[in-house]
Amino acid sequence: MAVENLAFLIPVLPALAFVLTFFLGKKLPNGGSIIPITAIAISFVISLLITLKLLANPEEVVSQSYSWFAMLNIGILVDPLAAVMLTMVTFASLLIHIYSTGYMSHDKAPSRYFAETALFTASMLGLILSDNILQLFICWELVGVCSYLLIGFWFEKPSAATAAKKAFLTTRIGDVMFLTGIIVLFADLYKMFNGTIPDGVFILRFDEIFAHIPEIAAINSTILGMEVSHITLITLLFFGGAVGKSGQFPLHVWLPDAMEGPTTVSALIHAATMVTAGVYLVARTFPMFIAAPDSLMVVAYVGAFTALFAGTMGIVMNDLKRVLAYSTVSQLGYMMLGLGVGAAVGAEAVGISIFHLVNHAFFKALLFLCAGSVIHAVGTHDMRQLGGVAKVMPITAATMIIASLALTGMGIPGTSIGTSGFFSKDAIIESAYLFGESTGTWLPYLFSIAAALLTSLYIFRLVFMTFYGKPRTDYGGHESPASMTIPLSIFALLALIFGGLTAEKFNTFVSETFVNNFVHVDIHELATLGGYHLVEHAGHEPLLVLWMPLIVALAGLVIAYLVYGLKIVNMDSLVSRNNPIYKLLYNRYYQNSIFTNFVSVKVIYEGFAFAGRAVDRGFDWTVKWFSDLAIESGESLRQFQTGAVQNYATAVITGVSLLVILVKVVMEVL
Amino acid sequence: MDLMLFAPEISLVVTGLAVLLIGLFIPTDSKKILGYLAALGVLVALFFTVSSLGTEATAFNDTVSIDALSQFFKIVFLVVALLFTISGIKYTEGNSHTEEFFTLGLFATIGMMFVASANDLMVLFVGFELASLATYALAGFEKKNAKSLEAAMKYFIIGSLSAALMLLGISYVYGATGTTSIPGIAANASVLVGSPMGLVAVVLLMAGFGFKIALVPFHMWAPDTYQGSPSVVSALLAAGSKKMGIVAALKVFVVALIALQAEWQTAFAILAVITMTYGNMVALKQTSVKRMLAYSSLAQAGYITMAFVVLTPMALGGGIFYALSHGFMKAGAFIATAAVTYMVLSENKDSTDPDHIDNFRGLGKRMPVTALSMTVFVFALAGIPLTAGYMSKFILFSSTIQSGFVWLAIIAILNSAISLGYYAKIVKYMYFLPTDSEKVSEPLPYTVAMIIAVIGVLAIGFWSEPVVYWAMEAAKVLVGGM
Repeated sequence: MAVENLAFLIPVLPALAFVLTFFLGKKLPNGGSIIPITAIAISFVISLLITLKLLANPEEVVSQSYSWFAMLNIGILVDPLAAVMLTMVTFASLLIHIYSTGYMSHDKAPSRYFAETALFTASMLGLILSDNILQLFICWELVGVCSYLLIGFWFEKPSAATAAKKAFLTTRIGDVMFLTGIIVLFADLYKMFNGTIPDGVFILRFDEIFAHIPEIAAINSTILGMEVSHITLITLLFFGGAVGKSGQFPLHVWLPDAMEGPTTVSALIHAATMVTAGVYLVARTFPMFIAAPDSLMVVAYVGAFTALFAGTMGIVMNDLKRVLAYSTVSQLGYMMLGLGVGAAVGAEAVGISIFHLVNHAFFKALLFLCAGSVIHAVGTHDMRQLGGVAKVMPITAATMIIASLALTGMGIPGTSIGTSGFFSKDAIIESAYLFGESTGTWLPYLFSIAAALLTSLYIFRLVFMTFYGKPRTDYGGHESPASMTIPLSIFALLALIFGGLTAEKFNTFVSETFVNNFVHVDIHELATLGGYHLVEHAGHEPLLVLWMPLIVALAGLVIAYLVYGLKIVNMDSLVSRNNPIYKLLYNRYYQNSIFTNFVSVKVIYEGFAFAGRAVDRGFDWTVKWFSDLAIESGESLRQFQTGAVQNYATAVITGVSLLVILVKVVMEVL
Repeated sequence: MDLMLFAPEISLVVTGLAVLLIGLFIPTDSKKILGYLAALGVLVALFFTVSSLGTEATAFNDTVSIDALSQFFKIVFLVVALLFTISGIKYTEGNSHTEEFFTLGLFATIGMMFVASANDLMVLFVGFELASLATYALAGFEKKNAKSLEAAMKYFIIGSLSAALMLLGISYVYGATGTTSIPGIAANASVLVGSPMGLVAVVLLMAGFGFKIALVPFHMWAPDTYQGSPSVVSALLAAGSKKMGIVAALKVFVVALIALQAEWQTAFAILAVITMTYGNMVALKQTSVKRMLAYSSLAQAGYITMAFVVLTPMALGGGIFYALSHGFMKAGAFIATAAVTYMVLSENKDSTDPDHIDNFRGLGKRMPVTALSMTVFVFALAGIPLTAGYMSKFILFSSTIQSGFVWLAIIAILNSAISLGYYAKIVKYMYFLPTDSEKVSEPLPYTVAMIIAVIGVLAIGFWSEPVVYWAMEAAKVLVGGM
């Protein structure tokens, strides 16, 4: 039996694991963790086999569709893009589940944890496998729900409950935009068929959507006095969804708060997988974006700005996990930028961005798991109380340093020596340069360079503050158990070598996503439609451009060493409430205070609450009146039911007689 | 004539007789096997019926016809019979009359199936009576239980009265048209138009079928009987036998007496509105869950009756679809109640009202599978999306609005809103009210039957396309002559 036929099992197995763990987990040792681990391991093997098969022949993608109702379908599609994502997600999820058996061993409700993470994995895999936008959206919402449940895993902690709500509501804004985009798209496609859709044509399936891009682009609407092509409208609405899910500016506010969940959840959902769903969505619908005038520019600008903006906040945080959270936001910005530069490099952008996505998944999951290992051992995540952890936790410290090197993208340009991050991040920054050349706008490139400096600065600050020097407080600590250190080592190995091993093959493989037996999209033609001028061949950038990312990364390392390692500058004078810049950064640009505390809580919430109360009272009164009436009449009607069978017979005969008369009367009157 | 056409009926007859005979020779302890046998027979019949979907034929001198309508309703009856037999395995445990229970249930199903395929009023009447007689006996199955006997007595007396009225109606129709064949009546029914005899015949037939469907005011036996009978039997009555009334009414009114449309359409409009409103209102105040379900099934019958008022192919298809959904939800709800009753009785043998709503307190903790299934069933009955109940209501109500009966749709929707009041009450008792009783083990046969019903409710709700297709095909059989 061909392995493609098992593709449907990839999300189904974790879903079954969810059901089993949910009901039986409590009775099994360790919360029944063995169930999801086995299920995800099998999913991983299937994904890997399919990927290897696709690698040999990228044009033979797996596509299976079944009619759901009317012109909609459910189905699976494993093309190069989906295949690498599937393999990465199952792999990361598997390792993190194994790690969790150690990490969650002291928790009260491990079975709930494993059930929810299994459900999350199933939804995420379902999202990746979707061959139509509606199914993708359904899974998109499901991962949102799982994220909500897992952020609020320790729901008895008020801050966790609040963070869960905040994450759910903030991403909701994006979700609504995404759904609006789907509705506009559906309406447009439906019109194209004049309402009669032949059997076997599923209009929300990607091949059908991509085939109609030029027609959608031809539809225009006037919005706020501006003539907007529907393809731009739809893609920007989709991007709105991606902004929410992938924590792009200005909807990134939920992601740092989401660190209230267990650290493993942060690693799985808020670093490696779910937050990349937005990037995946844009990559998946890339042919639409490249055909949409301005959309890719917006993606590039938002991505680059987010990368820089989050970096500035990363350097002042004192909480281990929050630094990593801002780092994630920043790296997600890079991925978006990687897609945005498609305006210059075409379909290659998908390869570049997804390459960074996969590498990031490895080293960021690793960073989180290392942080988790530290937190597990010493019980605090305030860096000001740590220091010298390397002495007690050598494996954790070593893997953490590898992850940091990968994050900053250390490597030697022009050779194939370097960490994973080096290959993918440099590719994005270089493409941003090409983007500048092609479009004449240099801001994204400058932002990405500045962000690279900040990245190096904040991550080495973390490393020096946590692992070097003398302990600042008296924490007891020990190296974590093998169930935790082994996944750490595997991730570290990947963070170190995955990029170098696959750099040449990966981009071409993923970039071929849009030409196969499922869809056949001419990216160049679509780019003309979108008004983008594609650069024919990359690789002739000035030498400085190639070396620039490394130079700034090293600069960051040196500054961090001087300040936090050798302490040549007294930070206390800078880090004070009197320093306006520090204050601005530390308070996260007051965006939290303005958005959350003022606009959301005071204006919107209070306003709606007031209006709602008034309307509610009216409704309450009406409903109560109505229900009182209903209950009262029920009570009196009950009296008819005497229980005496002769009365029943009388009722039948009376009923017959009355009905004859009634029908006669009604017929006469009408 | 192709005997394979009757393979479902034959397999039921054979199973029924085999169960009866084997039951004579084996000790009470091993009678459990009879239940498995009966369930197997039903499954075989179900298989034959599903595989013959799409066949069209007539037999026995055109007195029986096999078409999409008959096969669809046979599936409804067989699904209910399957749930009935599976849950009956537990219910009859240790009872020396086990074989009678299953044989009567199977024979009742055969009667219903003949009504579904009747093409002649005589066949229809005989099938009707076969089902009725078998269910009279089933309702009184607990011979030592006064409530069960009372239920059977009332059911029998009102049933006989209604049968007499129905026969009277048939004889009027026969007298005027000179035939009992349904197509024959349709051809000659014009003689009845405008005549008082036609009106009386219509109302008499309506009383006869209204008894089975439990339309107000012919419903009064229903609450007492549903409450007094064993829950498993109530499931058969509410989910199966009620649908027999509906398919009979469809055949007699929509096909045979379509010429008298004006008369019966008005009458059905009146009955539908009264029935759904009365059922929902009275259900609000019930404390016995079985009685509440009885009134709820009055209300549901009221909704289905709307199909007779709207009379478009879509509305009829919606009504027929509703019949299948209702089969799953109502049978499931009664079986869940049976599981609770069993639990209460095994804790306290002398409990007088084991289906009191207080016994549902904290059921979510005590019997999680039962509670979850019950939640699915009552939500489906209330018409919550993603369930079969929602799809049925959606098709039926939207076709009502499309045909201009907006007032009727509004009444029905308001009624649905009221109904949530008592459905949600059950869920509240199960999940939000505390109990200090222990978790108990759930009897396997009940659990299996409930899970089948839950799967049915959700599958039809989620993947309704094929079911809707066959319901519409069935509706086409009806309106073919229109």
